[in-house]
Amino acid sequence: MTPEENLLKLLRLKRHEQPPPGYFDDFVAEFRDRQRAELMQLSLREIIWERICDFLQPFQVPRLAYATVAAVAVAASVAIIARPSPQLSGGLASTRQPMSLTAPQPVMIGNSVPVSMASTSSPSVHYVLPTQPANYASPRSF
Amino acid sequence: METTETPDAELVARTQAGDARAFDELVVRFSPRLYGLVYNMTSNHEDTNDLLQDIFAKAYRSIKGFQGKSSFYTWMHSIAVNMAINFLKKRNRRMTMSLDDVDNGIMNDPDFIEATSDRDPRHQANLGELQKKLNEAMMKLSHQHRAVVTMFDIQGMPHAEIAKIMKTSEGTVRSRLFYAHRQLQSHLQEFIST
Repeated sequence: MTPEENLLKLLRLKRHEQPPPGYFDDFVAEFRDRQRAELMQLSLREIIWERICDFLQPFQVPRLAYATVAAVAVAASVAIIARPSPQLSGGLASTRQPMSLTAPQPVMIGNSVPVSMASTSSPSVHYVLPTQPANYASPRSF
Repeated sequence: METTETPDAELVARTQAGDARAFDELVVRFSPRLYGLVYNMTSNHEDTNDLLQDIFAKAYRSIKGFQGKSSFYTWMHSIAVNMAINFLKKRNRRMTMSLDDVDNGIMNDPDFIEATSDRDPRHQANLGELQKKLNEAMMKLSHQHRAVVTMFDIQGMPHAEIAKIMKTSEGTVRSRLFYAHRQLQSHLQEFIST
């Protein structure tokens, strides 16, 4: 008998390594008990994480990649939320100018252009809004 | 009276529909085989018990996502192998082998009797020693190699099935077996030399 055959014969001995008698009879009951206990303990975050891992499992993604993707997603979300929109920031920045009652400065809000900037003859500041009135008709009189 | 066994697919469908008893039946059906797989990878009965519970719990939670692309048998074994390998990585060779509970079945095995009562004095190893040596040799293999040896040599699964479970090619399975056998032969030389 070759060493290879002897090795295979030895390995087959491990088939006999079994748990104590009656082990499998109790196994299902223990499984039910543990399952109930675990379900009570699982947090929503753990459940969501496990679902994500299960969803990605067929793609054979390395486990560390899940964390990387999650971290990138969080960082991207934070960056998007934290970055102010250019339109809003322009308007807010211009309103922070010091105000004076004696020499009123034209104020920019969004894209609206104060008339005072277009024609210097008018001292008072008023705005031309880009919207149209809903109706020019005179109100109905009774 | 002959009773016909309910097919796995039917039990899976019933479980997916919310019948927990159907899953209990799957647990009864698969636990002995998965026990062997996990035990031969961990070499520890207590770890095997805990891990097996976790494996079935995981399968139960994930069963709604099982689409039947592979057999339930393959799917369950995939979960078991992956979880066992992850567990072994975490355990990091905390080699606490429960070798005190030597199984009675092995005592009557003709292969074992021959292996332990050989004419050569070097082969006069007792039951515990042989089992210990076997487990030690197995634990020296990498997790992937040990999984392949367990499934092929101990559980008698075909290469193709192991390849599906481990999501690899049959060639890789054969290659892993080849190197694992070479390594085991060197560790168990005193028992297998002719």
